[in-house]
Amino acid sequence: MGKPADDVLLDVRGLSKHFGGIRAMSGVTFSIPQGSIISMIGPNGAGKSTFVNVVSGTHVPDAGEVHFQGEDIAGLPGHVIAAKGIGRTFQLLELFGSLSVLENVMVGCHTRSRSGMLACGFSLLSALKEEKRIREEATESLAMVGLEGRAHDPISRLPLGERKLVGIARALGMKPKLLMLDEPAGGLAAHEVEGLVRLIHLLVERGLTLFIVEHNMPFVMSLSRWIIVLDEGMKIAEGPPEEVRGNEEVIKAYLGEEVC
Amino acid sequence: MTLFSQIIQYTISGMTGGSIYALIGICWSLVYLITKVLNFTTGEFVMLGGMLTWVFRTAGFSLVLSVLFAVACTILISMILERIAIRPVRYPSEVTYMMITIAGASVIKGLVLLAWGSETRRIESFFDTEVIHLFGATITSQVLCVFGLLVIVTIGLSLFLNRTLFGKALRASAVNLTGASLMGIDISRFRLFCFGLAGGLGAITGIVITPITFTGYEVGMLTGLKGLVAAIVGGWTMTGTMVAALVLGLLEGFGAGFISAGLKDVFALLVMILFLIIRTMNFASGARRGYP
Amino acid sequence: MNGAPRQKLLWLVLIAVIIAIPLVAGSYVVGVMCFIAIFGGLAVGMGLLLGQAGMFSLAHPTWFGLGGYVSGILAIRGIAPPWLGSIIGAVFVGLISYAIGAPLLRLRGYYLACATFGLLLIVQISLAQLGSLTGGHEGLMGIPPFSIGGFVLETDVHYYYLSWALCLACLWFLNNMMGSRMGRAIKSFSDSEVAAKSMGINVPRYKLKVFILTAVMASLTGSVYTCYLRFAEPGICGFPLQVQLMTMVIIGGGKTLYGPLLGGFVVMWLRELINLYLGEVLPRMSAQVDALFFGVLIIVILIFMPGGLSGWMDRLLYLGRRTLGKTSG
Repeated sequence: MGKPADDVLLDVRGLSKHFGGIRAMSGVTFSIPQGSIISMIGPNGAGKSTFVNVVSGTHVPDAGEVHFQGEDIAGLPGHVIAAKGIGRTFQLLELFGSLSVLENVMVGCHTRSRSGMLACGFSLLSALKEEKRIREEATESLAMVGLEGRAHDPISRLPLGERKLVGIARALGMKPKLLMLDEPAGGLAAHEVEGLVRLIHLLVERGLTLFIVEHNMPFVMSLSRWIIVLDEGMKIAEGPPEEVRGNEEVIKAYLGEEVC
Repeated sequence: MTLFSQIIQYTISGMTGGSIYALIGICWSLVYLITKVLNFTTGEFVMLGGMLTWVFRTAGFSLVLSVLFAVACTILISMILERIAIRPVRYPSEVTYMMITIAGASVIKGLVLLAWGSETRRIESFFDTEVIHLFGATITSQVLCVFGLLVIVTIGLSLFLNRTLFGKALRASAVNLTGASLMGIDISRFRLFCFGLAGGLGAITGIVITPITFTGYEVGMLTGLKGLVAAIVGGWTMTGTMVAALVLGLLEGFGAGFISAGLKDVFALLVMILFLIIRTMNFASGARRGYP
Repeated sequence: MNGAPRQKLLWLVLIAVIIAIPLVAGSYVVGVMCFIAIFGGLAVGMGLLLGQAGMFSLAHPTWFGLGGYVSGILAIRGIAPPWLGSIIGAVFVGLISYAIGAPLLRLRGYYLACATFGLLLIVQISLAQLGSLTGGHEGLMGIPPFSIGGFVLETDVHYYYLSWALCLACLWFLNNMMGSRMGRAIKSFSDSEVAAKSMGINVPRYKLKVFILTAVMASLTGSVYTCYLRFAEPGICGFPLQVQLMTMVIIGGGKTLYGPLLGGFVVMWLRELINLYLGEVLPRMSAQVDALFFGVLIIVILIFMPGGLSGWMDRLLYLGRRTLGKTSG
């Protein structure tokens, strides 16, 4: 089954990034169609997180192009890219420790609200109304990941699996078109991974496009229709799960790691 | 004075200032590189050197003894500071250490003020006031002492850090703290040593410049800060600090001479601010677009 | 949620107490409380900057002093009455903090501290040097008193109410702000700047906004202060004041808004107490001797109670809520 050729949401060409002498990413080219679940796999240090960082604007690429919905976004600051509809989670979570669970998710709604410093400071009616709406939306997002009961808890009291869900709920607040998940299944127990799979399907039903960077092979193989394989910063394979699974280059890259 | 003599004179005063800032900058680096503590009491060590020498001198001791006692006391004070204020910190962070050392500096300054009042104090030059004349400009013997001290300290520290086992261990710790402690190096003793060394070096510097600039409870802050500027601009290395310090001193000397003496301190501070800001500007490739 | 009505109640109690104090206490107490409003208010701004927004700026006294000087100079020369001069000073400070803040706030941690320290000293030295404009080292004398629509504020009690009105107004504004979208944004970027950016928060712009806001508040406070004392000198924007503010923030706790104000209360009364009992032994507290006292406090608190008083109180409150079963887990 070939790659669905509908609207391309994200198009990446020749993307490269190096840090000092290390070439983290060289000449990566592929595209992500609307409504799909695309995964990126590769051994440690392959450049997967770098890819996410470059697309989301944390790093500026040294070469190449990134087009989101036809618009050139390479080199734009992170917050601008986020406002255009790209959300992401972090491998290391990066949750806001000073805020409660619900407040973390409310931060996600930042781009969908406008009250400025003065409106908030003087407690204007417009600000109060917006606050109420944000709170409701955030509560919905929390409910979608199943954590409504934890809304007022501090982050520190949540186990890892729930923290990862908060990270996802937070990114959902932006109502992104493309959601990039960086190692969402890492450290999760089997039943938590199942819950994550269900959640991802739910999100795609709602019109989101998912891009998942992962190590966990069964998870990736079962979810995605299309897989990109990175090794030492370069794309070495691309295709549906069955193809990639049998690809010699891929097997060599993982070198003895069990590719199921 | 002819213009030429003026230039020579300002160069000399600039280089004197530069040497002082270089020495103080080295004090900052010694502590920062090993412990990651920005020690704001460095300036106060300098003040204490001069102040305590005056105290012992007026108490009747000879100059040599006063200097020895003053240095010893300052070393003691800096080590006490490390033990009671730095080591016990439970949640160490750069900002916490900074606030603690700023507080420590306030304490030292306040104690000195209470004990010995707010007047400026003097100690006499080390050698008789021979004065050398150079193209119409004057160099006092004390100024030569300052230069001499810089040379001695630079050579001494280099030898120590590169040739002795202890010094090499120190350099190793500066590069990799965890690795060093895994090798059995006692980090906390190193820290104590560095504080003591910085205290002693600061004190000696303070003593050497006191005959030129006098001393009082206030002198530590500004001078110390300029030493910090030299260290930051110089990238915390010894050569870098020295170069930065000399440039800073010369700029200050010429600024004070040709522009305004009252605003002389402002130059150093402006240099620091401008340098810090320019550092953050990304001139490399891959600059941001559309940065608001 | 029982948070909002409880907060309103606390506000009312606070306001009632503030209003009542001059009616029952003598002018000594009123004077000390007036200074608490002024310096405590400054400390609140500093606490926000340092404790919640993660920006270690040592330049707070600069804005305080500049505001005081600008309104003082304008008032003495008859160009503008103090109330207008305060506003002009605030605008002036706003512009300068905007111009300087943009490049400066790109610095991190100790670099920002050093640069703002430099700024503090530059302004203080310059104020002392520009004698014709600012009165040089001796300062500005004879600043006319504050007057609002014909009513001239002359007594300690008048300035007490003015200072507290300003302090509470600022506190109210900041409280609203921190409880809103903007406050969450601020707390988020101090926890994780990269995550905040990925949520669409323009971090550099928000940092600048907070910086300017606290600078403007400090400036207004400074104008009130110099009118109260009828006098301004370069020492008011000096480093000892910064140490004093840091003490208040550290003692009271920088993670809450009210912490530094509480810290101000504790610090100033402690100082008075020490003066009372050790007044004969120690000479009248000058700024430097104050700094000694504050320095010791800072060291002790940072080592033993890093969260300050409010951190401690918050932990108690949280534990209290948990035992009453009001939070899950």
